[in-house]
Amino acid sequence: MITQLRQRLLGLQRSPIGPGTRPLGIPAIDAILGGGLIYGALHEVAASGEAHFPTAMGFVLGLVAPPQISGTTYRQQQQTLRNDGVCMQKGKSIVWLAEDMVLVESGAPHGAGLDAFGIQPEYLVTVLAMHRRDLLWAMEEALRCRAVRAVIGELRAGAIDAVAVRRLSLAAVESGSLGLLLRTTPPNDASAAATRWIVGTASKTSVIAGRERTRNDTKIKTRFTAQLVRNRRGPVGSWILEWSESDGQFMLATHAQPVAVQAFDRPHRQVA
Amino acid sequence: MLSLWLCRLSTDRIARSREPSAPLVVTGKRANIEVVTAVDEAAERLGLSPGIALAQAHAMSPSIETTAEDIEADVALLESIADWCLRYTPLVACDPSDGLLLDITGCAHLYGGETRLVADLSNRLDRAGFAYSLAIAGTIGAAWALAHFGKPGSYPCGNERALLAPLPLPALRLPADTVAGLARVGLKRIDDILDFPRAPLTARFGSQVLSQLDRALGLEHEPLTPRLPVAPYVAEQRFAEPIAREEDVLAVTLRLARRLQIALERRGDGARRIELSLFRTDGVVRRIAAGTSRPSRNPEDIRALFVERFAGLNDELDPGFGFDMARLSVLVAEPAPPEQIGIGRGEDTAELCRLVDRLSARLGTRRVRRLIAQDSHIPEIAETALPAQMLNGDHGWTAFRRYRDDSELPPRPLRLLARPEPIDAVAEVPDGPPLRFRWRRALHEVVAAEGPERIDGAWWSEHGGPSRDYFRVEDRSGLRFWLFRTGLYRDLAQSTGEPKWFMHGTFA
Repeated sequence: MITQLRQRLLGLQRSPIGPGTRPLGIPAIDAILGGGLIYGALHEVAASGEAHFPTAMGFVLGLVAPPQISGTTYRQQQQTLRNDGVCMQKGKSIVWLAEDMVLVESGAPHGAGLDAFGIQPEYLVTVLAMHRRDLLWAMEEALRCRAVRAVIGELRAGAIDAVAVRRLSLAAVESGSLGLLLRTTPPNDASAAATRWIVGTASKTSVIAGRERTRNDTKIKTRFTAQLVRNRRGPVGSWILEWSESDGQFMLATHAQPVAVQAFDRPHRQVA
Repeated sequence: MLSLWLCRLSTDRIARSREPSAPLVVTGKRANIEVVTAVDEAAERLGLSPGIALAQAHAMSPSIETTAEDIEADVALLESIADWCLRYTPLVACDPSDGLLLDITGCAHLYGGETRLVADLSNRLDRAGFAYSLAIAGTIGAAWALAHFGKPGSYPCGNERALLAPLPLPALRLPADTVAGLARVGLKRIDDILDFPRAPLTARFGSQVLSQLDRALGLEHEPLTPRLPVAPYVAEQRFAEPIAREEDVLAVTLRLARRLQIALERRGDGARRIELSLFRTDGVVRRIAAGTSRPSRNPEDIRALFVERFAGLNDELDPGFGFDMARLSVLVAEPAPPEQIGIGRGEDTAELCRLVDRLSARLGTRRVRRLIAQDSHIPEIAETALPAQMLNGDHGWTAFRRYRDDSELPPRPLRLLARPEPIDAVAEVPDGPPLRFRWRRALHEVVAAEGPERIDGAWWSEHGGPSRDYFRVEDRSGLRFWLFRTGLYRDLAQSTGEPKWFMHGTFA
């Protein structure tokens, strides 16, 4: 009798709407993801190479940053946030975890730089672990904490225990936090993560090959090549994104790569 | 006051580790002469005593075993005995070089009176194999004098005068030359100076003689400096049977924390730093401390902290033959006003604090940190990371954002290297961005650059360093870096060396 009641209570407690999502603000991607990046799940983001690691971190921060709604009234903002479901109920804190070696190799997160991604450094807690075992434990603890909105775990090269990933993803499901595994090299192992991305930099200026380089006046933009290689809820895809600091969200970078190389020497045409 | 004199500390220490084959003497250099500094019981029976030259000792009895003195080991041993004596009273002071002073005022009844306490202490010291002599008296001076020169035992307060009178003057803890000086004028026992006119004595031997006498007689207050700070809140538990399992220790911790909670609530305090002392049966004391990020008195939280501390300890709890006493002390307490729980954001903060505490307990306080914006324009000093447990509030980021918006600060990198790394760069003279550079053996061709942003060194300081010109550059493959040049090409003439290039961070 009591067990039955307990089961019913459990059923009632579970929210009928399901976990909230964090829309990326790009319809094409949001459609594929089913409304946006899903909260209460583990997502894997891998750099396309060791050198692209900071870029991958930038991409992760972009995902973690609270969606900014510009050009709307306060009431509308509140409405949107309320629809955001779990996100609103959760705290603001973000936990970043890494192993000791990371600080030497790629440096520590710089608060002033995080600020550009819409992450307020005062809500960031950084954790350094001596061993991977400790890191995975700490990450699980952080994921279970209700006050934490997102957990970013940095993993250097090396295989990761499938059981550990499964545990992390369960912890994320239970608490409704956003769990993000940041890896230096593209993994090819199976994983319990909801999505897996491979992220690298996209260079704007490399487009203008052959032309004279323009210096100093070229505005450098934060661009990513984001490849969605695994998606539990839909198809995969590949995009070139740009981070817009003023709007605090991703934008599609249209035609960053040339659509077709312009031919400049066509001797046979001249003959004809 | 209880004065404990471990009269054969050095030789007992050696005898504890190995059985000496012959009468043992410990030797050390004093004024360039090898002298005997300590003797064991067998050697003393041969007529040897500390202070005689080693050659003389050998002449008196050739069959002795000699060992060089190890003052550090003696001090360490004395300190560990002092820690162990914390089971009797929190006020334990080391009395160099071979004694301890315990303020047992108000503690003796916990052991069923002074006699029982002394019996317990003697019993344990006997078992550990230490020679000792202890005395209880009303003042530190009297207890010390009786332990070292008088008949050991427990004496009531009040008649220090009569007790001290027959003792020799060194019993007043006076320097050797003062004692010698007093002896030269025929003053040998405390009796001799008790009623001596005070002025001539002070004029000739300094104020120390009479002040020591007054202290011993209780006319002047003598402070005791405890070895460890005394915790404001303490709860302890003794066990009839030693406990060894981790679960048992945690259960005891919870019970002690409940007791502490009552005391803390009464005064409206919360614990910021808690220490669990576990007294092993063989005299070793394990002390495990844990911190909290805000005042806490919740027993469950305190227990949870120690779960993580035990898990994080590299070696096991190492209970040996078990712990026979546990003490939970609040080392640092802060006022914690009662607060509303369960509504609003307060709950979130509490949750986060709990997480930070648990992570800090397991991984170490220095590994769980928060970023702080500091009042500096030099990038590596502009922010720092401090243990998250220490901090609360804003950490200066509001001020930083105001500064950034006011001065239109150029973009800052996402990751800042621990220290700038030198790179080989080819750049336009005099102040252009680099065309290509080599960092960590990889060659990067720069295709776009922003800058320079000049950040001056701390010109007001001697170690300020030269000014830097920072550039944000993008290489051919799209990687974005933050690098800088120190010095200017126009300064070349002044032989300051060629400008150098450094890598300082990476952008997303």
